[in-house]
Amino acid sequence: MTHIIQVAILGLLLGGVYALMASGLTLMFGVMRIVNLAHGVFIIAACYLAFFLFVGPGWDPFLSLVVTMPVFFLVGVLVYQAFFPRIEGSARFGEMTVLLTFGLALIVEGLLSFFFTGTFRTTNPSYATEAILIGDLFIPKAQLFAAITSLILLLALWAFLHFSRTGYAVRATMQNRTAAQIVGVNVRRISTIAFGIGMALAGASGSLISFLFPFFPNSHWRWIAILLALIVLGGLGSLKGAVIGALLLAVAAAFVSDLFGPTWSPITFFGALFIVLLIRPQGLFGKQARVG
Amino acid sequence: MTSTEKREPTDVVAQAAIEPRRPRGRYIVLTSVVLFLALLPLARPLIGQPYNYVLQVGMVGLMWVALSSSWNIIGGFTGYISLGHNVFYGIGGYTSGLLLIYFGFSPLLTFPIAGLVAVVFGFLVGLVTLRTRGPAFIISTIALLLMVGLLFDNWEFVGGSNGLSLPLPPFQLEFVKVPFYYAMLVIALGSVYLGYRVAHSKFGLALRAIAQDETKAEVAGIDTRRMKVAAFTISTFFVGAAGAVWGYSLTYLRPTIFFTIAIAAEMVLMAIIGGRGTVAGPVVGAILLVALNEIAVSQFGSTELNIVVTGVIMLVVLLFFPLGIVGSLRERGRLPSFLDWD
Repeated sequence: MTHIIQVAILGLLLGGVYALMASGLTLMFGVMRIVNLAHGVFIIAACYLAFFLFVGPGWDPFLSLVVTMPVFFLVGVLVYQAFFPRIEGSARFGEMTVLLTFGLALIVEGLLSFFFTGTFRTTNPSYATEAILIGDLFIPKAQLFAAITSLILLLALWAFLHFSRTGYAVRATMQNRTAAQIVGVNVRRISTIAFGIGMALAGASGSLISFLFPFFPNSHWRWIAILLALIVLGGLGSLKGAVIGALLLAVAAAFVSDLFGPTWSPITFFGALFIVLLIRPQGLFGKQARVG
Repeated sequence: MTSTEKREPTDVVAQAAIEPRRPRGRYIVLTSVVLFLALLPLARPLIGQPYNYVLQVGMVGLMWVALSSSWNIIGGFTGYISLGHNVFYGIGGYTSGLLLIYFGFSPLLTFPIAGLVAVVFGFLVGLVTLRTRGPAFIISTIALLLMVGLLFDNWEFVGGSNGLSLPLPPFQLEFVKVPFYYAMLVIALGSVYLGYRVAHSKFGLALRAIAQDETKAEVAGIDTRRMKVAAFTISTFFVGAAGAVWGYSLTYLRPTIFFTIAIAAEMVLMAIIGGRGTVAGPVVGAILLVALNEIAVSQFGSTELNIVVTGVIMLVVLLFFPLGIVGSLRERGRLPSFLDWD
């Protein structure tokens, strides 16, 4: 019994971080109908930023959040302005966003491999190997701190969306882009901000991932595949779905990993994706997807 | 829709399909190209020293023609972008490889079987993934690729991530490339012919209708689900066959040869550069990219920057020439008739 609770706790802690990563991705889809295949590679880029702040000036990965978040917010604003206004109004917008961000992901991955080589890296702050013991339960500090940080950031995102004027506008745009425009929302500006926020969340995830998992440039495909599976499972564009999907699947993956070994845990995400597609193609919390 | 003034690749193609044009000249050009390719291995005295190199590059080019032309049936004509089509490439490679190891049948003879096995899996995968549209479909193909990659990485029967070594081909070293070249030529011609037949059939028309507006196509009485699954299924045959020949030519099989997303990227990129949804587009795109790659590798060596170049080309083409070479030329009325296969 303790063992089961132990595995569930480890799953939940990781699930918090997955939820943080997936919420940025699903926000982008919800507001702009952009499927950002480059989300994973930007998370890995943020890992490198956190890594070099750690080995250089010796910043703790949590401290590096104050750099990674604004930097990636800016990167997001630039990326959005550079590509997406151009293809707005294309009849195959959804597909175009996938291909554009695919190209972008290849470029960033190539640059990262060129400059930083394919070596596995990780930041190793002192708490990375420590744990708290509560009775028989073993709670690794790194995972715990990362989960708490993710929770704070997700709450901040929720508060922003529900209590600020810009947040209202973002939600209005998610619900109905045209109607939002009619009532006077500057949809282009809101989209830029939302893309920036999504990327800032990717930046934050990078800081957290940097000490949870070893990373190398090519590892972003694994991440993006898991994240995409999560947001399809939750229903594309649904923040609630992404968070619940992330928590559920992370716990499921922890059990799969416990029973069959860690190599098989990613199968959970992909397997769940295919099962959901068979039963409920629009995802758990999605409306019938009408895209393209 | 706000986009009535924007021309999409499929509009141009559909228009071309309706207006019948049968220029004589193109048959002469095409026949001579096929004859040239078929007779190339006989010209050993003329080619001289780089004989094996020429055949190797030719084989690689033909392989990419087959891959991108096959991908084009689902990704171009039907408008369903699959980023996991190299799954079938790998399934083909491993099928023929295992037949060679356990039964001694040469992949140069069993590649049609590899294609059929790929088709069976293609049908099953299509049934599931094509329940979704748009981005969700693309995502499910990526998930498929990573899942299958993971399975092959950990499946002891096929050697896991170390892969399998195949017995060496029993050919004289000087002529070792010749049988592979001919097998790939057959596969490439087959896939282009398949694309041509699809483009000129009622089935192809239905696929283009789906690409333009699936709901309208359905209202018009097209069984879109059946058509989509059929398109996905037949698009896997030559991909599997090409995988079989390619694996044997390398003499070993390893998951990283087949199941990396870079291969999917190349397939997509070639079709887009050449002109998605046209018959000649993927052929032009494949030849162009293979040539570019040969030049880049011989001039600068093989570095991580190659993938950057792939990405940059992809962005530039998507933003500025979304119709691809064949599509753009046709729109301007400058398409030479020997490339007008639609």
